[in-house]
Amino acid sequence: MNTGDARTEIMRSIRAHLARSAHYDGRETRIHTDPCKSASQQPSQPVVADFKRNLELVDGHCILVHGPLEIEDAIKRIAKGKRIATSESPLSAKDLFEYEVGITGGQLGIAETGTLVLDSSVERNRLVSLVPPVHIAVLDASRIYPTLGDALSFLQSGNEVSPAITFITGPSRTADIELTLAIGVHGPQELYVIINLDN
Amino acid sequence: MNTETFSENAKAALKDVQLRGALRNATTLFGKRRREAAASLSNWEELRSEARAIKDDVLLHLDRYLETFVENAESRGAQVHWARDAAEANEIICRLTLERGARNVVKSKSMTTEEIHLNTALERAGMHVVETDLGEYIIQLAHETPSHIIAPAIHKTKRQIAELFTTELGMPPTDDVAELTSTARSTLRERFAAADIGISGVNFGIVETGTIVIVENEGNIRLTTSLPRTHIAVMGIEKLLPRFADLDIFLKLLPRSGTGQALSTYQSFITGTKRNASDEGPDELHIVILDNGRSRMLAHPVTRQSLACIRCGACLNACPVYQQIGGHAYGSVYPGPIGSVITPQLIGMEKAAQLPYASSLCGACREVCPVKIDIPQLLLHLRSEISTRQPAGRRTERLAFKLWAMIMTRPWLYEKTAIAGRLFQRWFAPPVKAWTASRDLRPIEMESFREHWRRTH
Repeated sequence: MNTGDARTEIMRSIRAHLARSAHYDGRETRIHTDPCKSASQQPSQPVVADFKRNLELVDGHCILVHGPLEIEDAIKRIAKGKRIATSESPLSAKDLFEYEVGITGGQLGIAETGTLVLDSSVERNRLVSLVPPVHIAVLDASRIYPTLGDALSFLQSGNEVSPAITFITGPSRTADIELTLAIGVHGPQELYVIINLDN
Repeated sequence: MNTETFSENAKAALKDVQLRGALRNATTLFGKRRREAAASLSNWEELRSEARAIKDDVLLHLDRYLETFVENAESRGAQVHWARDAAEANEIICRLTLERGARNVVKSKSMTTEEIHLNTALERAGMHVVETDLGEYIIQLAHETPSHIIAPAIHKTKRQIAELFTTELGMPPTDDVAELTSTARSTLRERFAAADIGISGVNFGIVETGTIVIVENEGNIRLTTSLPRTHIAVMGIEKLLPRFADLDIFLKLLPRSGTGQALSTYQSFITGTKRNASDEGPDELHIVILDNGRSRMLAHPVTRQSLACIRCGACLNACPVYQQIGGHAYGSVYPGPIGSVITPQLIGMEKAAQLPYASSLCGACREVCPVKIDIPQLLLHLRSEISTRQPAGRRTERLAFKLWAMIMTRPWLYEKTAIAGRLFQRWFAPPVKAWTASRDLRPIEMESFREHWRRTH
């Protein structure tokens, strides 16, 4: 058996079985119209408030700041005295396990779910957001979009999307043991999104 | 336990007090969260209909969509493999691991790899395989199988899990869930660091971009698909969505239906391989496309619906049968209402003839299904196929219906039978007793309408 045969045979099977069904299907079912017509709006202040509220609903922290100095302050308060890894420095997995705080940027935010989006074309070392017990992300307020649909349409240009895109909504969680919520199973226990309003 | 002993399995499960308590808690909680999450969107019904329309479109043109998906995935660096059945899929995956000199494999939760029993095949090939989803890890340590599509270890208590961790991992005994979780975290980190190959499932394959999308809460899928140098994703032929934008609908439906979340914690969108060698992530991406009986389901609009399933588990939680007996009693990889319809189609009607009858046809599954699969209709369709194929298998049932038809088409016989029923209803024979043992049968009136009419006019 080689895979070429398998491909041909699976395709033949699909076509043959669909042909048998044609008798029941009658006229061709419609090709659906575009489901989500979420026009990309200009982000505004309520969007930031929504983002914050929804992120806090899933146990994430959201800090609103103005400008680089306040960003630095906020980071210092969270990460004081801890070993910090940033997404600019590539680290091996084993090295990464030693760090206590990971700092990344954020390419997009989704207000309706409190979601942070990391895009591999910018954020080349995304494991920094996953492996250390604390993840801090810095996001410009202007990058927060109201809806999931907006974010998806922004991430796609024509038929192209970045090789690896990660959506993050709150810290890592599980309820696999007696449905008891446990935070930080494989990923971070704490997620801080610092939103820069001066942008 | 297997599919052919369903009635015995179910009876045993009904006597398991601990299991029934766990099931009651889980299904009630998941059900409540699903209802609340669905109610949080004003257009929930429209989303369901739209999702189904998208899936119907995909399935009706599956050959073309698959070809385009493969073309787009390959042009972005993915290597695509085709597997007609479980054996072929396992052979491909084992070959890929052996060719790379791999010893250690990490896996993220995937029902499709459960379906093909991949772990057994990999272990036979000499691999050390570790499930990294907490629930899957627990049942792997216990040498069991998942009992729920999204909460695999739902049947185990924390005390049982603690005992398991003590014997298997040498952990000091504890009842604390956070401690158990953190032990699993640190044990699994060592495995991640040593892993040569990461194997995942696929929630959605996006045709226009060649992207695979995987949804999770724990972060183990992100580790599985980023740390090892080779990522192998196993995908059923039916997992496709035409457009990237379609995710707007499916990422609203899937987490809300499964766990009641507005969005699961992590979504990984993987499109081919990394563009620069120095970037993070695996060097190779292999997508194994699996048929294993799926294309057969395309042959009829009723059975084709089965392929619209997005494996959210909502029908399990809503099912009064699953709520009482849990997943293991079904004896199949896929339990609950959706399992009862796909298992006979995947493994053969003769091997799972009891499963389409494991339902009261109450329709709760149909009501909660995010892609509006008419599971009761499917169950009836399969029942009729079974009774035509195995006339001997359900002789009593066929006889009863023949008798029923005979009586109902002959008024004189009907009247005589009604009178007989009236007189003997107190001493019903065994087959009827089985029904009345747990239900009330309305007593037959001593005077029928026709008799009343004759008397008074």
